[in-house]
Amino acid sequence: MRIFRFIAFRLGIALVTLFGVSIIVFMAVHFVPGSYEDVILGPFGTPETRAIVRAKYGLDRPAVEQYLHWLAATARGDFGTSLTTGQPVAAEIIRRAPATIQLAVMATLLAIAVGVPMGIASGVTSTSQFGRTAGRLVGALGASVPVFVLGTIFVFMFSIWSLGLTVGGYVPLFEDPLTNMRAMTLPVVTLSVFGMALIQRTTRDSVLSVTSETHVTAAVARGERPPDIIRSHVLRNASIPIVTVTTVYFAYLLGGAIIVEQMFSVPGVAVYVVQSVRNRDYLAVQAGVLLAATVFVTINILADIVYALIDPRIGGKRSQS
Amino acid sequence: MSLIVRGPFASILDFARRDRLSGIGAVLLASLVLLGLIGPVLPLGDAEEIGVGPRLAAPAADWLLGTDELGRSALPRIVEGLRATFLLASMAVILTGILGTLVGLTAAYAGGIVDVAIMRLVDVLFAFPPLLLAILIAAVLEPGGTSAIIAISLITLPLFVRVVRAVALSIVERSYVIAAEVSGAGFLRVIVFHLLPNVLGAVIVQLTYALSIGMLVESELSFLGLGVQPPDASLGSLLRLGSVYLTAAPWLVFPAGLLLAAAILSVNLLGDGLRDLMDPLRGRSLR
Repeated sequence: MRIFRFIAFRLGIALVTLFGVSIIVFMAVHFVPGSYEDVILGPFGTPETRAIVRAKYGLDRPAVEQYLHWLAATARGDFGTSLTTGQPVAAEIIRRAPATIQLAVMATLLAIAVGVPMGIASGVTSTSQFGRTAGRLVGALGASVPVFVLGTIFVFMFSIWSLGLTVGGYVPLFEDPLTNMRAMTLPVVTLSVFGMALIQRTTRDSVLSVTSETHVTAAVARGERPPDIIRSHVLRNASIPIVTVTTVYFAYLLGGAIIVEQMFSVPGVAVYVVQSVRNRDYLAVQAGVLLAATVFVTINILADIVYALIDPRIGGKRSQS
Repeated sequence: MSLIVRGPFASILDFARRDRLSGIGAVLLASLVLLGLIGPVLPLGDAEEIGVGPRLAAPAADWLLGTDELGRSALPRIVEGLRATFLLASMAVILTGILGTLVGLTAAYAGGIVDVAIMRLVDVLFAFPPLLLAILIAAVLEPGGTSAIIAISLITLPLFVRVVRAVALSIVERSYVIAAEVSGAGFLRVIVFHLLPNVLGAVIVQLTYALSIGMLVESELSFLGLGVQPPDASLGSLLRLGSVYLTAAPWLVFPAGLLLAAAILSVNLLGDGLRDLMDPLRGRSLR
């Protein structure tokens, strides 16, 4: 029963969080200089046409009423229509979602595939000076190169030796997997390097703190082989921080791969939201930010619930917030 | 913690000797900050003078790192950019440090409804995609240094508050805090004299991480054209302009990119070393 109370509690917090996000986004967007009328009418608006536009979008109502109206529509899944294209915002986001999701999933998988083994290796070799230094240096280096520097290096390298990879030229994965992967390899690799470093650092720290515990000493004393010790005594105990960091990283990628999407011309959701900010496309910005926050919060709740199921200590009073 | 007992200079040397990597990070960071600070008086040439050499010229004796699309010498511009990046990120992080420490301590010590309210606000801030939050702020306040500082501050704040609160929570029930309360210390006095000194270690470590994130965000924002505005330059905006001529003039991109990565790396190395000092993770050999 306690698990259900825990889930209800987390859901409640999530709703409060998203409510807060919606208020801030709504206010922020309405404080952006310029107005609906300017966006739609351009420089040719007369007082009469401006009034018509204001009435059409409900801008002549009080702000609170506008907010509640928008919130109610959004809750029904109606994100409104884009002010610049006249197309439904939801349709545009759905059209762009596959590229963003593919980027996030592949970058996260690559980051795990490289980061976890490297983290274990630097964790168990940390008793030697060389291993300790190498492990720290690799982790710090990966976390220090900005994505756009890395992306620029890749673009430069692959403009000389293309190796069959392309910058741009995205097609949906299920339409033409080969062409898709040629376009997506560079963005995925660029995006995943920070994740590799993040996961390597977390895994290393977690392995170090588990191997300091007495049950590992006992296993060593029993003469178990190192690979067995890692598998059966270290990894499972070290896994929760790794899962946490990976989850946050994945959720962050789903909402924020702006630079990589832009550099490699991946037609994803993040660039759409940024373009909408530039075009003052209010409804698209509001929908995009709220959606990203919802995805972030939902993924974090799922992770919390998984921990609570795995580890009975979680979900008690001490673990809240 | 024997380091604190001895003189500051001796303990810094000792720290650098025991932990080479952090020592290297500290030296690298100090020299880059120094380079940024004294850059304007070094004989590197004028950062804004147009037509020092031909346009997009390769590195040569008179323009050591080549020239840009207006014939400006790239070297002094990179040093300017380095200074802007450091300056914006550190101002933002100082803001985060002060605000985050106060708010985190208040949440932990006040508890109850105040704590709940603060932590829910922090959740809201944490749920925003970081770069998107920065872009929104740039759109509301118009792009520039001020909005970059506010954005970096808001992005680094949530984690900072959480860490400070978590550390402070383990202290608020200690007997010396209760003793202070019994002898009549007020809210502010307890926070400043009894809690703050005990979370300072965690705050310093967290500050270095916030600085590295701040420098990343600042450069990304400038790379998107939403950070410092021309004619001012930061390393991110130099990379933005340079990447247009990537194959024709790679010298406009790679020195700036390397310098930016080196600056962030130095902060990260130092931060790792400081954290190791506070909370050493030893591990053991599996044989």
